Amino acid sequence: MEYRSQKVAYWYFAAALPLFVLQIFLGLYLAFSYTFTVPQSVVDVFPFATARAMHTNLLVLWLLLGFMGGTYYIIPEETRNELYSEKIAYFQLVVLLITGVVALVGFLFGWTQGRPLLEIPTALDIVVVVGALLFLFNVAMTMIQGKNWTTLQGTLLGGLVFLALLYLFGIPFYRNEVIDWYYWWWVIHLWVEGAWELITASIFAFVLMKMTGVEREVVEKWLYVEIGLFLFTGLAGTGHHYYWIGAPKYWLWIGGIFSALEPLPILLMLIDTMMHVRERKTEIVNRLTWTYAVGCAVLHLIGAGVWGFLHTLPQINYYTHGSQVTVSHGHLAFFGAYALLNLTTFYYAMPKLKGIAEYDDRRGTWGFWIMCSAMTLMGLTFGVAGVVQAYVERVLGLGYMTAQSYMRLWMGATLFLGVIFLLGVLTTVTDLLTLRPKVRAQA
Amino acid sequence: MTKKTAFWIFLIGTLSSGALFLGATYDTHRQVATLSHVDKLTDQVVAGKKVFEKYNCNDCHTILGFGGYYAPDLTKVVQRVGADGIRYRVKSPEKAFADSPRKMPRQNLSDQEITDLIAFFQWVGEVNNNDWPPQDSRKRISRGEQMMVATVGVSPGAAVFQSKGCMNCHSLAGTGGTFGPALDGIGAKLPAEAIEKYVRDPKGVNPKALMPPQKENLTGRELEEVARFLANLK
Repeated sequence: MEYRSQKVAYWYFAAALPLFVLQIFLGLYLAFSYTFTVPQSVVDVFPFATARAMHTNLLVLWLLLGFMGGTYYIIPEETRNELYSEKIAYFQLVVLLITGVVALVGFLFGWTQGRPLLEIPTALDIVVVVGALLFLFNVAMTMIQGKNWTTLQGTLLGGLVFLALLYLFGIPFYRNEVIDWYYWWWVIHLWVEGAWELITASIFAFVLMKMTGVEREVVEKWLYVEIGLFLFTGLAGTGHHYYWIGAPKYWLWIGGIFSALEPLPILLMLIDTMMHVRERKTEIVNRLTWTYAVGCAVLHLIGAGVWGFLHTLPQINYYTHGSQVTVSHGHLAFFGAYALLNLTTFYYAMPKLKGIAEYDDRRGTWGFWIMCSAMTLMGLTFGVAGVVQAYVERVLGLGYMTAQSYMRLWMGATLFLGVIFLLGVLTTVTDLLTLRPKVRAQA
Repeated sequence: MTKKTAFWIFLIGTLSSGALFLGATYDTHRQVATLSHVDKLTDQVVAGKKVFEKYNCNDCHTILGFGGYYAPDLTKVVQRVGADGIRYRVKSPEKAFADSPRKMPRQNLSDQEITDLIAFFQWVGEVNNNDWPPQDSRKRISRGEQMMVATVGVSPGAAVFQSKGCMNCHSLAGTGGTFGPALDGIGAKLPAEAIEKYVRDPKGVNPKALMPPQKENLTGRELEEVARFLANLK
């Protein structure tokens, strides 16, 4: 930690981690509901829909807290300047957390906008927007005061502004269901394949640069190419969500072609990570942080790149659209690209924030491998369930519940793997919150 | 490659894709008016959409393929189970899904809300969305039936007749069930259109009919093929 105000980040990280744990508990309830019969009396009080809304909103909340914390950690070092205001940073954290808790409790009582992933009611949306504006103001002011502009800062700020702007498209009520979904994807797709990728790319570039000692010039050059490719493929690639919603036919072409290219920037990210490692100028002190960075690059490519590519061609998507294949992709991609990015940032920054130069990484390593193995296997079990569903329900036309009965075994396997994943998460979260310096064996 | 070249790659990549995307968005708005039949988008349909959102239906069900994946897609639900089918399921899910391993919550919708909801589904079902979902496509017969046509050399209607359980009740040439009447020579009594109408909803033709309606089980194409097959049995 070089600047006092970077400490703010610690509280963002510490707030994000318990939410991550809670997210997994709800996920287990969802997998349980697929595998076993939940009695009518329970379904009446706590339906699957409520649990799903909580599971996905917790994901978004802890990821955003991680991004914000990561940003607050990075910008003082990048701008060589303390944060504009620590008070705003803490205030905004409290606002976001309260909004999150109110939203989650509200879901239990049916207070919802009723649109998947954007369930937060309009009244709370406004609070979220105010919080986001405070955050952007604080970040921008820090950068302006620092007067030390870099490509990395620009990308980060650009990504954050883009993220906030897109959120606005999710707020209004749309009369036409087709238009509703059209703009729903401006939030969801353009977040994860646009704004969030910009944020990821810049946070990742920062961590890489600091860990490997490779010159800024080289790192930022690749950053430009990556974000250029991300936006080139990602913006028009939104079209792969417009195949079956009642939008014109040309989206089949636009979506098909641009999303076929979507793995390229992610592949480039992996290659340039590897390149930087080979040319590293400094010793890598904390092996686990390093493992996380590489793990993130690899699973980002597999989960978002390869798994996405597998079902974005219209000819395939006609049968897999809205099946467990999508779920498989969603889990692998969010975990690989964003959960691991956040954990990489946490493992990079938290030891520094606690003044630990070299941390004991034995527990953390277990956590990493348990989580990654369990999630990779879950990607497969969800995937098999999805293929079974696509074939039985869509190709053979045997009906929804018939297909579900064939998938049950695989959803049960997912439930089991989910429990293993939870153990990995608990290990990781405990480790992060109680990091200890490495004890060197006496010579 | 210099950083400057990299910057230009970024700028051109972003602007070209962004321009294409925004241009197509503009045109989409124009075309969606026709594709989604905006003229039929009445206040009742909008009210139904609000009901759909109020009860968070979309976090279990998908519609146009988006949402939770825990319950069937609702894009073509009116064509699949009919307005009465929807009403029954929403009104008394505990009865409708008593034997199902998966339950639907009782949410106590008012009759007006259900009527609005059905109007909404009716409208969504007519959106021209490139014939998705495949299981509700009116143009196709299922792959199992296609296989039978190809391998055993029967007509598509015969394949439907054999694979969709008609023979659990009806018989042909002495093979099949006895609960319903034998169908040998049915074509001599009824034309294809009348058979199709009856199979779709027997009670609509004869209130005392015991046969369950098939409009839920069979696609439009399947109904048409099975009716044509039966009409040829003279």
